[in-house]
Amino acid sequence: MKFPALLLTVTAASAAAQPAAYVLDPAHSFVHFEVLHFGTSTSRGRFGPIAGAVTLDRSAGRGAVSLRVPTTGVDTGLPVFNARLREADLLASTEFPDAYFVATRFRFEGDRLAEVRGEFTLRGVSQPLSLFARRFACRSDEGTEVCGGDFEGELLRSDFGATFGLPFVADRVRLLVQVEGRRH
Amino acid sequence: MNKLVIAAACAVVVTGAQADGGNYALDPTHTFVTFEVTHFGTSTNRARFDKKEGMVQFDRAARTGRVEITIDMASINSGVPPFDGHLRSKDILNVSEFPTAKFVGDKFSFSGDKVTAVAGTLTMMGQTHPVTLKANRFNCYLNPMFKREVCGGDFETVIQRSQWGVNYGLPAVAPDNVRLVVQVEAVKQ
Repeated sequence: MKFPALLLTVTAASAAAQPAAYVLDPAHSFVHFEVLHFGTSTSRGRFGPIAGAVTLDRSAGRGAVSLRVPTTGVDTGLPVFNARLREADLLASTEFPDAYFVATRFRFEGDRLAEVRGEFTLRGVSQPLSLFARRFACRSDEGTEVCGGDFEGELLRSDFGATFGLPFVADRVRLLVQVEGRRH
Repeated sequence: MNKLVIAAACAVVVTGAQADGGNYALDPTHTFVTFEVTHFGTSTNRARFDKKEGMVQFDRAARTGRVEITIDMASINSGVPPFDGHLRSKDILNVSEFPTAKFVGDKFSFSGDKVTAVAGTLTMMGQTHPVTLKANRFNCYLNPMFKREVCGGDFETVIQRSQWGVNYGLPAVAPDNVRLVVQVEAVKQ
């Protein structure tokens, strides 16, 4: 006689565990990078909008993300820099027009996403990368759930073979990732 | 005795030269203003002003300086053309009526020979209010390409946009506090 109750519990649990899928909002999904120039000032550039999909299961503390970062459209505000960045010894955009971030290891603190660990592929080279959430929130936008935040990570560009200008332009690159995803 | 006089005279000349301060030309390839403002409390929108010009006078010995930077407000670039259009419109920055913004900094603070802050005024949309840019980093180096001294750094400040009448979307869409992140390098002339 307890079976129906048990079945109901199982059904409810799987419904709750059903991950929600989000598609990135191209107006609010960008990667900015920062790199130190001659130990003096920080040069910045932008990739995006980035495209991709995210699934989140906040109750289970799980998620998955798959992002495509177009390197061809890198934008520093300086056409000459953009062209230099696309060359073979930096982004190698002709051969590798996109970078990718793929991650399935999500760490939550409560229901707040704290860290996403995955793999970043740049110039065809894949390395582990952690993005830490500096901010994460969900809201309702006219009935559609929107989740997003600010994420930060660091990499050594030499790990990916992007070596031009070392050491005058630093090896360490800081990534600032803005994402907002709309549930569908 | 003569040597002493000459040495003293040289010292005066050198000190005098330094006190005149050096003129530095902004390096537009390493000078940018970017703003950051949160969007519905969820994520941070960033946009950069691509066109600017200005001058820097800087005297490390006398610990004085003056910087003037004029920003072409229409050159705003967020990576989202419709957002840029909205930013330029009367709703927000009213670029057709107020095409430029200008920062004039004339109070330099130092720690040793490093600049730690530059205080001055920001004129935007016809209003002038005090702003202090805090240096997160400051350095001078000999640039191998220019073969000249280059000084620069990373500066930031948080302004309340409503002070300049930029009230659109307050407070839900975007808060009053806007962070300005400023990269500056200037080449000694």
